[in-house]
Amino acid sequence: MITLTINDKEVSVEDGTLILEAAKQAGFHIPTFCYQPILSRLASCRICLVEIEGQRKLQPSCVTPVMPGMKVQTESQDVKEARIGVLEFFLSNHALDCPVCDKGGECELQNMVYKYGPKKGEFTEKKERFHEKDYILSPVIVKNSNRCVQCLRCVRVCDEAVGRTMLGPMGRGAHQEETSFLKSYMDCDQCGNCIEVCPVGCFMRLPYRYRARPWDLKSASTICPYCATGCRMDIQERGGEYIRAISKFGKGVNSELMCARGRFGFDFLNNEDRLTKPLRKKDDGTFEEITWAEALETIKTNFKLSSPERIGAIISARNTNEEFYLLQKLMRTVLKSNNIDSSPRWSSDAVSAYVTACGINEGGTSIADSIDVDTVLITGSHISDENPVTDYLLRRAFDTRRIGVIIASPRAMKLDSSAQMTLRNIPASDGTLLKAVVAELYTAKPEAFKGVTGLTKIKTLDSATLSKDCGVALDDIKATTGKLLKSDQISILAGTEYLRFPESLEGLVFLRDALRALKKDLKILPLLDRCNQRGAWDMGIHPAFTPGYEALEKEGLGCDRMVQAADDRQLDMLYVICENIAGLYPDAKYAVSALSKLKFLVVQDVFMSETAKLAHIVLPGAAFAEKDGSFTNQEGRAQKIDSLLPPPGEAKTALEVIAAIGRELDYGFGPSTADEVLAEIREATSMYREVEIDTARNDSALVKGKPAALRIADFLGKKRFDDVEAENKPSLPVPVVKVKPLSFKLVTGNHLFYSGTIARRSHTLRNLVSGPMVEVSVADAERLGLSDGDTVRVKGKYHEAILTLKSKKGSRDGIAFIPENFTEVGLNRFLKRGEGIQEVTIRKI
Amino acid sequence: MLTEETKTHIEGLLNKYKTRRSAVMPALMHAQKQNAGNLTEEDMREVADYIGLNPVVTNEIVGFYTMYNPLKDIGTYHIQVCANLSCSLRQAEFIIEYLEKKLDIKSGETTKNKRYTLTRVECLGSCGTAPMMQINDDYFEDLTVSKVDEILSNLD
Amino acid sequence: MEKILLKNIHKEDSFKIETYLAGGGYVALKKALKERPDDIIQLVQDSNLRGRGGAGFPAGLKWSFIPKDPTMQKYLACNADEGEPGTFKDRAIIDNDPHLLIEGMIITSFAIGASSSYIYIRGEFEFGASRLEEAIAEAYEKGYLGDNILGTGFNLDMAVHRGAGAYICGEETALLDSLEGRRGQPRIKPPFPAIAGLYGKPTVINNVETLSCIPAIVEKGAKWFAAIGPEKSPGPKIFGVSGHVERPGLYELPMGTSAREIIFEHSGGMLGGKKFKALIPGGVTAPMLVEEELDTGMDFDSLAALGSMLGSGGMIVMDETTCMVRVSWIINKFFSHESCGKCTPCREGTTWLTKVLYRIEHGEGNAGDVELLDRICGNIFGRTFCPLGDGAVMALRGCMKHFRDEFVYHVEHKRCKVC
Ligand SMILES: Cc1cc2nc3c(=O)[nH]c(=O)nc-3n(C[C@H](O)[C@H](O)[C@H](O)COP(=O)(O)O)c2cc1C
Ligand code: SF4
Ligand code: SF4
Ligand code: SF4
Ligand code: FES
Ligand code: FES
Repeated sequence: MITLTINDKEVSVEDGTLILEAAKQAGFHIPTFCYQPILSRLASCRICLVEIEGQRKLQPSCVTPVMPGMKVQTESQDVKEARIGVLEFFLSNHALDCPVCDKGGECELQNMVYKYGPKKGEFTEKKERFHEKDYILSPVIVKNSNRCVQCLRCVRVCDEAVGRTMLGPMGRGAHQEETSFLKSYMDCDQCGNCIEVCPVGCFMRLPYRYRARPWDLKSASTICPYCATGCRMDIQERGGEYIRAISKFGKGVNSELMCARGRFGFDFLNNEDRLTKPLRKKDDGTFEEITWAEALETIKTNFKLSSPERIGAIISARNTNEEFYLLQKLMRTVLKSNNIDSSPRWSSDAVSAYVTACGINEGGTSIADSIDVDTVLITGSHISDENPVTDYLLRRAFDTRRIGVIIASPRAMKLDSSAQMTLRNIPASDGTLLKAVVAELYTAKPEAFKGVTGLTKIKTLDSATLSKDCGVALDDIKATTGKLLKSDQISILAGTEYLRFPESLEGLVFLRDALRALKKDLKILPLLDRCNQRGAWDMGIHPAFTPGYEALEKEGLGCDRMVQAADDRQLDMLYVICENIAGLYPDAKYAVSALSKLKFLVVQDVFMSETAKLAHIVLPGAAFAEKDGSFTNQEGRAQKIDSLLPPPGEAKTALEVIAAIGRELDYGFGPSTADEVLAEIREATSMYREVEIDTARNDSALVKGKPAALRIADFLGKKRFDDVEAENKPSLPVPVVKVKPLSFKLVTGNHLFYSGTIARRSHTLRNLVSGPMVEVSVADAERLGLSDGDTVRVKGKYHEAILTLKSKKGSRDGIAFIPENFTEVGLNRFLKRGEGIQEVTIRKI
Repeated sequence: MLTEETKTHIEGLLNKYKTRRSAVMPALMHAQKQNAGNLTEEDMREVADYIGLNPVVTNEIVGFYTMYNPLKDIGTYHIQVCANLSCSLRQAEFIIEYLEKKLDIKSGETTKNKRYTLTRVECLGSCGTAPMMQINDDYFEDLTVSKVDEILSNLD
Repeated sequence: MEKILLKNIHKEDSFKIETYLAGGGYVALKKALKERPDDIIQLVQDSNLRGRGGAGFPAGLKWSFIPKDPTMQKYLACNADEGEPGTFKDRAIIDNDPHLLIEGMIITSFAIGASSSYIYIRGEFEFGASRLEEAIAEAYEKGYLGDNILGTGFNLDMAVHRGAGAYICGEETALLDSLEGRRGQPRIKPPFPAIAGLYGKPTVINNVETLSCIPAIVEKGAKWFAAIGPEKSPGPKIFGVSGHVERPGLYELPMGTSAREIIFEHSGGMLGGKKFKALIPGGVTAPMLVEEELDTGMDFDSLAALGSMLGSGGMIVMDETTCMVRVSWIINKFFSHESCGKCTPCREGTTWLTKVLYRIEHGEGNAGDVELLDRICGNIFGRTFCPLGDGAVMALRGCMKHFRDEFVYHVEHKRCKVC
């Protein structure tokens, strides 16, 4: 601790604290422009100058660390004059067109001038003008450089956090203008972080332009509905229309950062196709509008007709914890069924295994903690596209601290540039790669492995064979092993590939146990792609465990088995909330035919999905900005969301509907408000008992878990991992695909601009991409004689699609990636239940 | 388009420095020379690509340093006359006026036949032999009107 | 005085290694390589050699800040950006005696433990850059550069990096950014380059003239050097005289030679016998001196005592016909043109000053403009990121201190008092 005086007040702060921060702690505000804690230091705007006793010149408080005994003045005459001087300089070359500027009313320059003066500028010279009219830089960005204060926050955020380096200061001195390469239209992340960090009205949202003044807006604080990074944002409306999402400095895990989906993808809320009335399917297959009373009556009658094991519920991972809790309560206590699940994209067995492997049932791990280590291994995730803001946060940490980063992924990604090593494994062989590493660890330190579960198996692992199977050179595996051995603290960030290909989890578990045996301090952070996926599991949206991961004696059916049961006519009723089984289940034909066999399908959703079309009753639902409650992000951070507007028409939140159905079936069913449900959640599970639901950023909001006695299914046999040693099973078969010329392995995942089906209803996001695409490596594109933008026919065994080709530098050859989210592609029609990875061919047309 | 010769040159530059990025300034300068003093958008992109940088970096560089002429139309002979203090005390203005009249252009302009571009520049480090000018790479010092005539008539 | 820095420049083929060797070149290097690096640093400290780039920082002291860890990569960067208007001294050495500089750089690198060195030369010096490149190639060939220099086990690489037109790259940290392939803008200090310089490694940056003094110091000793000129800033100094004198050019004289002597004896007096009006003693940044101050010794401390500075030693002489408003406008225009744009006071302030000065000079001044200049100066001075902005103010204030009446006259009469 260092003691100094600021404005004659004695303060003690930590070593290395900047004067600016120390002053803040002491309650003195120093204005800033170029300072931005997460970005590199500039000290260029000079608005933050302070007086330090004994120093000839005023010093920038944003880069000057405190020293013992320092005497600082932040409001002396000199300081005030300097501040006014700087402001006057800004105004001397500033457009001063506040009345027509989008930033008016929330502009940092305007506010500062208002607060500190100068009362009148003396600048009467002709101003430099960069351009006459605002110019458009991308589908979401419009620029006016005449208002710039040259703080370079835009340039730095794009380079240092986003990692795109799309912007630069062009020109010199007073002619310097921050813009894109020759002011060209940008093909970038479209994250709008440049807009958010700009203190003045230079970077502006194109969709929001001239649409409102800040004081006309109503806002609510909520969490982004896309990936599980869980970015906090304020959603804003005017006249019943959602028009802006903003992120705020210092709020949420993300602070000011968001990605394109979060910042621009909220407009699906306004989509004219929103469902607004309950519907019933007529005999001719068309829908008619009915009242809620009629709908509930029909649901009640049908539910009562069925026996518990013939009823199921599937809810998407975008609903609130409160809705999850209430749904499983309805299912388990009223309908007596454990047939509950959340995603058709992977099996419930995979979820059980993943939850245990990552220790999700043991409580939360923050991103900050997971990267405060020596080595980070990122595996099974295309993090740059799947969890963009996690990527931004990691990049900044990786580039400024000495953290060893290893990324294993078949496809190249933006974060690769921050990694010391990138391993390009064959798709679906993530676990094989980890096993090869484990084999090497064992060879290096066999004595440490005493008593490790799975040791018998580990002993038989052969790194050379495994290296061939996963397509990563043995030397790279050895180098990875070397890095891990040298590190004391290690984090593994494990993505959704482990859920898609759960065979891989065995490798993850082996590595986890091996590193623990080697006395490494190990953290595992799951990387998830739906905003409340973790919350769904925490709340017991799973056939095998209840809220808080208490294993059930009698396991119900997961989504996969429910579809199968429907196909076998073993399931009669299915209640689906916002989940699009027909659109996402990895075998479209099978799913549609199975769901069509149901006696009664009720779907609540915000849009008419492929699944809703198959329903007998369709209920209009509410989306994130229309709900109160909480989401739990991938870290296990439970975060509060507030509603801004009621859902459109007669639409209702899932919470209301579940409660209503519950009451139809059991008069005493409840509770029915988010707050009451949360209170009951706290009662029901120790995991959430002491959690403070986070409204800003607070580590006590991380859920506290206890390792639950989860039964972990072995996806191949019926055994658990724990039994593996006894049996010493042969190595799991990894789908090795020999790449024939022109033949590609089909890989799926999220697109940077989309995650899930709601994104396709956002006009802004749709505008960012010309259309559905397929991505291959640059080498493959060359091999096929194709270039970016070519239209190609992608043909598989069961389906084909016409797509636009994109090539990616550095990706593994022989892989065709198609994002999950283009409904028109029918991606899941390429897939066949039980067949694993499919091969496709690509031809130019 | 970068010529093979330019690419070989850039390849050589890369050995000189610890980072590839350090080569960006000389690489751009070479590309400009290859195009008789003009830097095209394509070259800026290609240099960036070759070195492994985002194109925006080359834009930053050429906008900051005055010797790059991005997207300009510089004549065969780029006449740069120093107008800073020492030269100005020695009648640099007079030389500039003379050149403007002789070439029938204002400084900052290029003659119609693309032969000459005239630019006023800041001190070129030749103050003891003022007034002076630079034509392409060469310095001409202790200028007088008749000397200017002679120099121009001797250009190829 | 016996010439030390300019002794070779008039020789035939002065730039060739043979000429240099014939004049006793690279003897100092051989001597130095037999010593301990620390002893050379001590020698240079004892010589009291102060940096010739402008700030006059003691060279030996700067070298002593370099960490001693032998496993650490270190760099030497020679500042050959010579951009300060009125300065043309380094170019003489670069063009005509490149080996003097190269020898100085090899010795310096040896002393600080650098294995890699760069000469950052301003882009316009195309001729000088190729001269240096040829000379460096000769030195490699003769085994003065490269691996195992003269069999001592000392390795050193040397390369020329050309700027591309930016005065600010003369500022040492901007120079490093430029060498790293960025826009040349000054860096935050600390860390100082001696700790984290080029590519984040310890780096010494010295001016061409500073480094060119090294061989003589090694050869003839610290005492000899310290005895030339004033005790606190000793040694030979190249004065570059330009403007209204009969014989503009470079004069190598002992530090502390009076300005009067340089102008009236060495440079042949005022051009056409006109009356002396003012002298800028060390490049346009250095505040002006007037007639009464001409007996001042041209060295760091004597000029500082007058509120001016030695700077680069580029002396610009002006006679009675010179309009000081115009001079100020030219100087300020230069600074606003060269402001790197990083910090607000310099970027906006110099631009504003130039606009006001332009108006005053062109007879469009308004009442209050002179005070406005004062106020803008006040808002720049001491608040900029690097000394460039301060320099603009020093130059203008220096002029207004002596010739305020001319500014006032311009504003009031909309025309010049002298021309
Ligand atoms: C704006 C500015 C321009 C400068 N230009 C030069 C220059 O052209 N040449 C030079 O040697 N030093 C220049 N300097 C000084 C350098 O920053 C640095 O002090 C010098 O190179 C150190 O070398 P020395 O100690 O040998 O003088 C400049 C400084 C500033 C602030
Ligand atoms: S939108 Fe994002 S990626 Fe694009 S320029 Fe702005 S910060 Fe960079
Ligand atoms: S555009 Fe905005 S963020 Fe960028 S430098 Fe200018 S004021 Fe700062
Ligand atoms: S004073 Fe500021 S703007 Fe001017 S050159 Fe220095 S850093 Fe750049
Ligand atoms: S905030 Fe400190 S200089 Fe800009
Ligand atoms: S002032 Fe013209 S060359 Fe220096």
